Amino acid sequence: MKLKKYFTLTKAGIMESLHFRISSLVLLAGNLIYLVIIYFLWKAIYASAGTEEVSGMTFSDTLIYLVLASSIFTFMEMYLVWQMGRDIQTGKIVLDLIKPMHYRNFEFWSLSGNVVMSFIMTFIPTFIIIDIITHGRIHLGFNLLFFLLSVVMGIIINFNIDFFIGTVCLYTQSIWGINIMKEVIVLLLSGATIPIAFFPEPLKTIVSYLPFQSIYNAPLTILIENDMPASKLAAILLTQLFWVCAVSVISKLFWHRSLKIITVNGG
Amino acid sequence: MKKKNAGFYLKIYGKILAQDLKSKMSYRADFIISTIGMIFTNISGFISFWILFKNFPSIAGWSYHEMLFLYGFSLVALTPVQCLFDNNWNLRGYVYSGDFIKYCFRPINIFFYYMSEVFDIKGLGQLAFGLGTIIYSWNRMGLDVSVLIILKMILFLITASLFMIALMNLAASTCFWMINTGYVMVIAFKFKDYSRYPGTIFNPVFRFIFTFIIPITFIAYYPSLVILRPDAVPALSWLSPVIGCLFFYLSYKVWMKGATGYNGTGS
Amino acid sequence: MEQIIEIKNITKEFKVLNRREGLSGSIRDLFSRNYSAVKAVDNISMSISQGEIVGYLGPNGAGKSTTIKMMTGVLEPTSGTILVNGHVPYKNRTQNAQEIGVVFGQRSQLWWALPLIESFRILKDIYQISDDDYNGMLEFYKSLVDIEPLLHKTVRQMSLGQRTLSDILAAFLHNPKVVFLDEPTIGLDVSMKSKIRVLIQALNQKKNTTVILTTHDMGDVDALCRRIVIIDKGKMLYDNDIEHLRGFFGSYITLKVRLSDVPDDADAETMKKEASKLEAELEQKFSDDKNLSVGADEEWLSILIDRDKLQIMDVLNFIQSKHSIKDMKQNEISTETVIRKIYEEGV
Repeated sequence: MKLKKYFTLTKAGIMESLHFRISSLVLLAGNLIYLVIIYFLWKAIYASAGTEEVSGMTFSDTLIYLVLASSIFTFMEMYLVWQMGRDIQTGKIVLDLIKPMHYRNFEFWSLSGNVVMSFIMTFIPTFIIIDIITHGRIHLGFNLLFFLLSVVMGIIINFNIDFFIGTVCLYTQSIWGINIMKEVIVLLLSGATIPIAFFPEPLKTIVSYLPFQSIYNAPLTILIENDMPASKLAAILLTQLFWVCAVSVISKLFWHRSLKIITVNGG
Repeated sequence: MKKKNAGFYLKIYGKILAQDLKSKMSYRADFIISTIGMIFTNISGFISFWILFKNFPSIAGWSYHEMLFLYGFSLVALTPVQCLFDNNWNLRGYVYSGDFIKYCFRPINIFFYYMSEVFDIKGLGQLAFGLGTIIYSWNRMGLDVSVLIILKMILFLITASLFMIALMNLAASTCFWMINTGYVMVIAFKFKDYSRYPGTIFNPVFRFIFTFIIPITFIAYYPSLVILRPDAVPALSWLSPVIGCLFFYLSYKVWMKGATGYNGTGS
Repeated sequence: MEQIIEIKNITKEFKVLNRREGLSGSIRDLFSRNYSAVKAVDNISMSISQGEIVGYLGPNGAGKSTTIKMMTGVLEPTSGTILVNGHVPYKNRTQNAQEIGVVFGQRSQLWWALPLIESFRILKDIYQISDDDYNGMLEFYKSLVDIEPLLHKTVRQMSLGQRTLSDILAAFLHNPKVVFLDEPTIGLDVSMKSKIRVLIQALNQKKNTTVILTTHDMGDVDALCRRIVIIDKGKMLYDNDIEHLRGFFGSYITLKVRLSDVPDDADAETMKKEASKLEAELEQKFSDDKNLSVGADEEWLSILIDRDKLQIMDVLNFIQSKHSIKDMKQNEISTETVIRKIYEEGV
């Protein structure tokens, strides 16, 4: 069984997260505090605007969008760049290279356990709470299935961007600087801090050509927009699929090219 | 043994700082990339702010320039925690690996000794951004300038910093009692982004919580009222320096309790 | 002589979590946890005089580090009393720290990114060492080891041996009354080990510093300690002169042989197998396994014999009758062997 060795890693990740039960609770509590702040902030913002809808988003839409974005963030942020950076600095990366599995696959499947746990322990409770607060505003139907598919693609895109940036650490030695730049760009341009719907037109156009909006904005739009026409849904998912392939190939090629540095310099 | 007074600690801090800066300068590439990362963070913050105000002209009765002032105020207030207390971020790693024990063998205060080890020079960039923003909005609003107002400004900026430092101390010290609390730090640090909004957006219950339990309204809102709304300064604003000192002292005590109870497992 | 460390009946208990196995165990751990108390140090007493070098020995996990942490004021004992220099370490941690020096494991306490001399200067301020004392100490160091090339290197750039050496120098810099060295020679090469032993000896003699040394290397013990304290599972096994200890096993002798039916280039695995084979043969012949045991290193099979019970010649003759002996020698019992026998069998 080829897949079995990968699922073993997922299972190990789940067990590891279970040992840290307090941190799961803290994660959830943090999300709830965030939810409260976002709720009041945007309520005040919408009250000041005086209209129901701004840039096509109602208060409930914005609330659902931002709270779920933050909740998705808890499992999108895998601290992969940190880990790769540290592995490179300490030379531990050489040990990982001799494992009977590609480093990229090993990292991905090791992290997948945490993702599963975060999804169950923080995303689902947050999802239920936000649905109650907005009086069942989230349409519960087939869109959930597409949402899940879209999130998985978002995770893969995010992982590959992280892996690409982590590889850059082979050249720069500066982990903090590289990581903060990546995080800032991803969070802003993916629509995780402010929904892309609010962006001014020229910026919206630029963002639509970049992979970042496929991480947060794509799944959340699918979830929020009721009765989305099939053509639009297909367009979003296909764009995501395109980016999944593109960033996977790029990060893989870049990694293989960069590996030479390790083998030449000894890490 | 001679008495160890503030002068003694200041002298040692100065010496460590000078040496630390010298050695940091020798890692130029890292320094430059980190500085660029810091500038990115600030620019992205401004872009988010700008996008928000493109869609909404005011928030809870606060104008664009008043909000900008609050924003700049929080940036400056954040500088000390960033520059002087940055080692809090590494605490979890030291405690987890058992290396924290090396801080326990010196005849000086552990908290001081630990924090003195790192001075994060990148925080100064943020200071520049913050000051620029304050001066710009100050000018636009046509606020008075006098020695007294400047002194008030400095006092209340220090106050706001104390709250942020205390918050981060408390968040970091959780690692003495729990494993894997990295996320607590991330959440606490995220609070700074929500300290930039007026406290009046919350309803009474949550205003109480965010004032007395998780005091984020003290990081910018209450102290800045002294400058922005001099005609109607609430008692809490005037009291904030005292509360700030108390809160800092409390966080210091908790941190020290954790440090002295630390048994150095992992060795 | 003045007693510098007085320990009376100290005990230290830790609470440990019993984790369950597997995924289902992890889920059950989420809801209910099962703790148990473990005594890391169990009713230990000793007193140490100024200027002694004491070897503090015991197998891994015996409670050595825990005891040292209590003496340095990092840990509070669950019960019992400790006095170091007349201070209760846990209550007066900073005062105690002023008068002790610590080198703990392989964890450097120096500033990672600073040149050694800068670390020394900061320590001078922290410990409030006067200029004269500081310069005198540096001169003394220079007479002992060649530290000039180290002074301008950052700790990050040093080899493990240089780092350990620097840490030891830093620990003695403020002329403390007691220095705790936790495995100072671990992972070092032979020449560095001997350098460090000479250094410790010299510092102890010149400054009359008390040294508490934990180690797994009996070479350290032979070179430095007259007195040893052995603990295991938190309990004190032995506290006396090392010679006295050898006396316990005075009737023992180590007989080393090389057999011609064992190839010269045999690896450790093979040697071990040969050793147990020989032991089985000898036991069959001499019936009682208490009186002899067989071990092996890369070259020799070593047979530990109790001379009160067995004649060496009998053993040799028996071996010669079964194998052919290529080479042989006999040694008095080594510290290593004595300590191993104590870890395995007790006193």
